[in-house]
Amino acid sequence: MNRHYASPKGYSAYPRGPSAFSISPNRYVKRSRAHGWMAAADPIAQIYMDTNSLGPNDSFQPRSQPALRRRRQLFQRLILLGGVSLLLVFFLFPSWRAAIIPTLSLGLLHPSEDLQLQTVRYYDLSEVQGTEKGWERGERVLMLTPLRDAASHLPMFFSHLRNLTYPHNLIDLAFLVSDSRDDTLGMLSRMLQEVQNDPDSTMNFGEISVIQKDFGQKVQQDVESRHGFEAQASRRKLMAQARNWLLSATLRPTHSWVYWRDADVETAPFTIIEDLMRHNKDVTVPNVWRPLPDWLGGEQPYDLNSWQESETALALADTLDEDAVIVEGYAEYATWRPHLAYLRDPYGDPDMEMELDGIGGVSILAKARVFRAGVHFPAFSFEKHAETEGFGKMAKRMKFSVIGLPHYTIWHLYEPSVDDLRHMEEMELERQMREDEERQRELEEQKESSKSKSHISADGSDKGSDEGPAAQPVKDSAKGSSNL
Amino acid sequence: MAVARSMRRTSPVSLVLAALLAFGFIVFMLSPSSPSASASAVSSHQRQQDAAEHPLSPPTKPFLKSQPVRSDGIQAAPPVVHYNLNNLTSTSDSIANRERILILTPLARFYQEYWDNLVKLSYPHELISLGFIAPKSKDGNAAVAALEKAIARTQSGPIDTRFASISILRQDFDPPLQSQDEKVRHKMSSQKERRESMSRARNSLVFTTMGPSTSWVLWLDGDIVETPSSLIQDLTRHDQPVIVPNCYQRYYDSDSRKWDIRPYDYNSWIDSEHAQRLAAEMGPDDILLEGYAELPTYRTLMAFLANLKDLDPERMVALDGVGGTALMVKADVHRDGAMFPAFPFYHLVETEGFAKMAKRLGYAVFGLPDYFVSDKCPCPSFLSKILAFNI
Repeated sequence: MNRHYASPKGYSAYPRGPSAFSISPNRYVKRSRAHGWMAAADPIAQIYMDTNSLGPNDSFQPRSQPALRRRRQLFQRLILLGGVSLLLVFFLFPSWRAAIIPTLSLGLLHPSEDLQLQTVRYYDLSEVQGTEKGWERGERVLMLTPLRDAASHLPMFFSHLRNLTYPHNLIDLAFLVSDSRDDTLGMLSRMLQEVQNDPDSTMNFGEISVIQKDFGQKVQQDVESRHGFEAQASRRKLMAQARNWLLSATLRPTHSWVYWRDADVETAPFTIIEDLMRHNKDVTVPNVWRPLPDWLGGEQPYDLNSWQESETALALADTLDEDAVIVEGYAEYATWRPHLAYLRDPYGDPDMEMELDGIGGVSILAKARVFRAGVHFPAFSFEKHAETEGFGKMAKRMKFSVIGLPHYTIWHLYEPSVDDLRHMEEMELERQMREDEERQRELEEQKESSKSKSHISADGSDKGSDEGPAAQPVKDSAKGSSNL
Repeated sequence: MAVARSMRRTSPVSLVLAALLAFGFIVFMLSPSSPSASASAVSSHQRQQDAAEHPLSPPTKPFLKSQPVRSDGIQAAPPVVHYNLNNLTSTSDSIANRERILILTPLARFYQEYWDNLVKLSYPHELISLGFIAPKSKDGNAAVAALEKAIARTQSGPIDTRFASISILRQDFDPPLQSQDEKVRHKMSSQKERRESMSRARNSLVFTTMGPSTSWVLWLDGDIVETPSSLIQDLTRHDQPVIVPNCYQRYYDSDSRKWDIRPYDYNSWIDSEHAQRLAAEMGPDDILLEGYAELPTYRTLMAFLANLKDLDPERMVALDGVGGTALMVKADVHRDGAMFPAFPFYHLVETEGFAKMAKRLGYAVFGLPDYFVSDKCPCPSFLSKILAFNI
């Protein structure tokens, strides 16, 4: 209201006296224009005109002393102003620059009041239940991999990672590096960095956590002792502990699925997450086999921890004490359970399902709600089982569905056991002896020129495959167990 | 006249003085932001340091509001983050070691007194993260709305009182039908259902909100309205894997016409032979509940172990079962897998089953009979519990 009234009057909204414009070079023009405008105004403006009437006369006089002085002062002032502002910039430039911005804005008193941090998160768990077409609904998967002295497996593992067809941005990766004596951690960090910096953004994964925790593993890790019967119970409990630490530190309210995958899987379909997810069961495991050298029969069931409960095993469990752990695949505990691994038919329907009670840990896809409900890998004897087998048992106890796919197979890396190595050495020796023999015979042949060599070598390979499978499977099946 | 004035205004001396003054003023205005606001600045610096870069991060961390963008204009992928859990401690000197604590509360109803008590805790708030879980029911919605209002006030208040981070979860399963009939509500069968549902809520909460840097987990029920402000320090000082204070309730005694206290939590107990015999005879799906006249257990209840004549808040007793009203747990115990069984585990469920599982994992469980926290009164469930117990 006031302002509307004031401006047409020509004062207060317009710069007034010449004093405000004393340095203006064309002040005469300006002032005269002002005069013209103010002429129509009220008596107060008239008074202004009177007091300023000296002005126009000044500018028509030759340059006087005060005018010169004023100009000099103008220059001085300009130089001073420039100097001060230069000084200010010089002083403030590197370190105070950040402080200037809030100071000049409104945050004068509390420059750090707004920390630019988001502290509150809201999640509705009913939106992350997990459905059969998770990739279409943007469901996040937490992929967990425990590692120990696994540097040699990492390149293979990362090639699997890159090939996964499930949208990478929906996969959160988490690793547990424990008790490693090789460069697992350094190598892992480098390779993860590489993946996240990939210019192709479809290669980038979601949240990536690398957890370091040593559990003071005293058990030797070579293949032989790792699978020894006595060591199994405490080894499995330690493994369980490691898995629980990894899961509890990295499971988020945004996850719909959790995928456990060992680093030493050699061959698996790129679509494995979708393939397992499609069954829409709470816990799903594929069949795990491993390739073998020809002399051992070519292939072999690997993971014997996926099984259905049997009456014999339940009766056996009742006779054991509270802390005992039944481990599958050892002659000490004859359980007569049907194993997922042995039911494989290479030409069977890969979608066929089988109800399970205990499961192996090489590749588990589970709905996150199973873990949210509290199912975990018991690091104590739970219904006489621990780790992944105990996990299966506990999931069943809480009425979750646990299934295996007998005809959907992934292949575990073959690491020759000490026996295998010895056997291979023997075979190598044998082969060399035979070659020497052959050479000798050849020499003789050259003299006599009678027999062919191919016949002899065919003989040799027959012999190898003869003693391989006959001697090995029972013993080797004992090794069926995941390894960290 | 005009000449004289302009002369005075533009004299070099006054100009230099003015410049100096202006400079000094700016220096004065800028400088307080760093040194003088000491405590608050340290706290906010700490918070900035602790913050995660990306929203995809542990809920126990706040995260930066703006994310870095790659040179080609696409949002940068989340960073590779390392967590060394070998350096994580949970010790008696929790503040000095900057140990992070996660306070977890299954929320059925929101009480302002509960929140006020929480804000009053003297443990450094930048080390405290909060987690809540509420059912997706009408009551749950109301509780969450009230909670969010309280959070908004605290998290925009003075930096020192703000909590490091807060997660609010909504349950993914339906709460069991709550009958308003007290008798039905406290029948043993519905008790079992109720406590199993509670177990699932607790497990969902702890396993999704616990971060890699959490040292301690404090379970605090939503109706705990009064605790010593040093609650966290007091409980961590004992350096025990699982420790539980005694939960009492203030009530108005209409007979003596004055406020008094009475024991509230009957889930903290020392086992009895009789109870073990009872359990041995039970079927695999039966549970042994405390506080029911139909099934006396003759366990020693911590609620009645308080020595009211001569309080010694430091006194510890070894327990076999614990209640969840206020329960301090080293995060490692949960990490090893100790959870709240939603199925009969040694014929126990929820917090009592948790104590059993912690013991199976080799951890000790203790109670502080003379250290009190107080429950909101009046609480109908408590009244009927008392009634049931006295029948």
